[in-house]
Amino acid sequence: MATGIEKAPAPRSGAHTVIGTSIVIDGEISGGEDLVILGTVKGKISLKESLFVESSGVIEADIETANVEVSGHVTGNIAASEKVELKANCKVVGDIRSPRILIADGAVFKGSVDMEIKGK
Amino acid sequence: MAISEGSTIIGESILINGNLNGDEDLTVRGRVEGTLTLTKTLVVEQTGVVRAEVQVKNCVISGAVVGNVTASESVEITKAGRMVGDISAPRVIIVDGATFRGRIDMGEVDVEQGDRPALARAASRPALRSPPRAITQDPDRVEHGGHSEAEPEEGLVEKAPGVKPPAPPVPLAMGAVKRKVIVRRK
Repeated sequence: MATGIEKAPAPRSGAHTVIGTSIVIDGEISGGEDLVILGTVKGKISLKESLFVESSGVIEADIETANVEVSGHVTGNIAASEKVELKANCKVVGDIRSPRILIADGAVFKGSVDMEIKGK
Repeated sequence: MAISEGSTIIGESILINGNLNGDEDLTVRGRVEGTLTLTKTLVVEQTGVVRAEVQVKNCVISGAVVGNVTASESVEITKAGRMVGDISAPRVIIVDGATFRGRIDMGEVDVEQGDRPALARAASRPALRSPPRAITQDPDRVEHGGHSEAEPEEGLVEKAPGVKPPAPPVPLAMGAVKRKVIVRRK
């Protein structure tokens, strides 16, 4: 009963890259796979896949990905080609540009939203 | 539990450019460029490429590392590991098959426990006590080292008992003999 579904939801278990809680990255992260952030990243993130900012994660960066799921803190502009999801208890300051944007009850957000699909 | 705390993984297609600091283990399968500072272990897997100034506690290299690595405990280059740069760590392990170019500094090397005490003595003693040896120990040294030389042996051996000093200089003579052997080898 408490085996597989305990902590990590399905999409995250397939992630290859995890930035742990005590890790601080100051610079650029780019890549073609899912990225889970529990620590701190400053600078810029550009991915071809999904970005998960967990509740302990702190991002001070511009984000460019396909999907973004935020449970932690993000300061910076988010541009997603597919979807941005702001979960409850997240805190996001910055502009969001994505065709699909979900903001859950309890999420804190300050910035502008653009759902128009630009450049496509 | 893939995302349990205390383990950070940089996946194969990920490139990090900048400074990376942390207090937990880090596994690199992708690329990291810039500086990398950890208080725990860095593992560079076979697909991993690190081009950075690395400061960690332990480092295990199975991939490629270009840059200087400073470890407070150990650095290990496995048989698949490739590294170019300087290593500074008290323990350095390089396995058969590993590729490495650079300098290694293991810190203060204890001369007394060195593998080649003769070399250590030769390096340290002459400066301190060579003048007396040059005069009084010369016959003694020739006596030990000059068996193959026919001519001077007899005369010097006669002299030796007379001049031969008591206990203290004996180790000196031994040191001198060893040093001479080394010189001959070269």
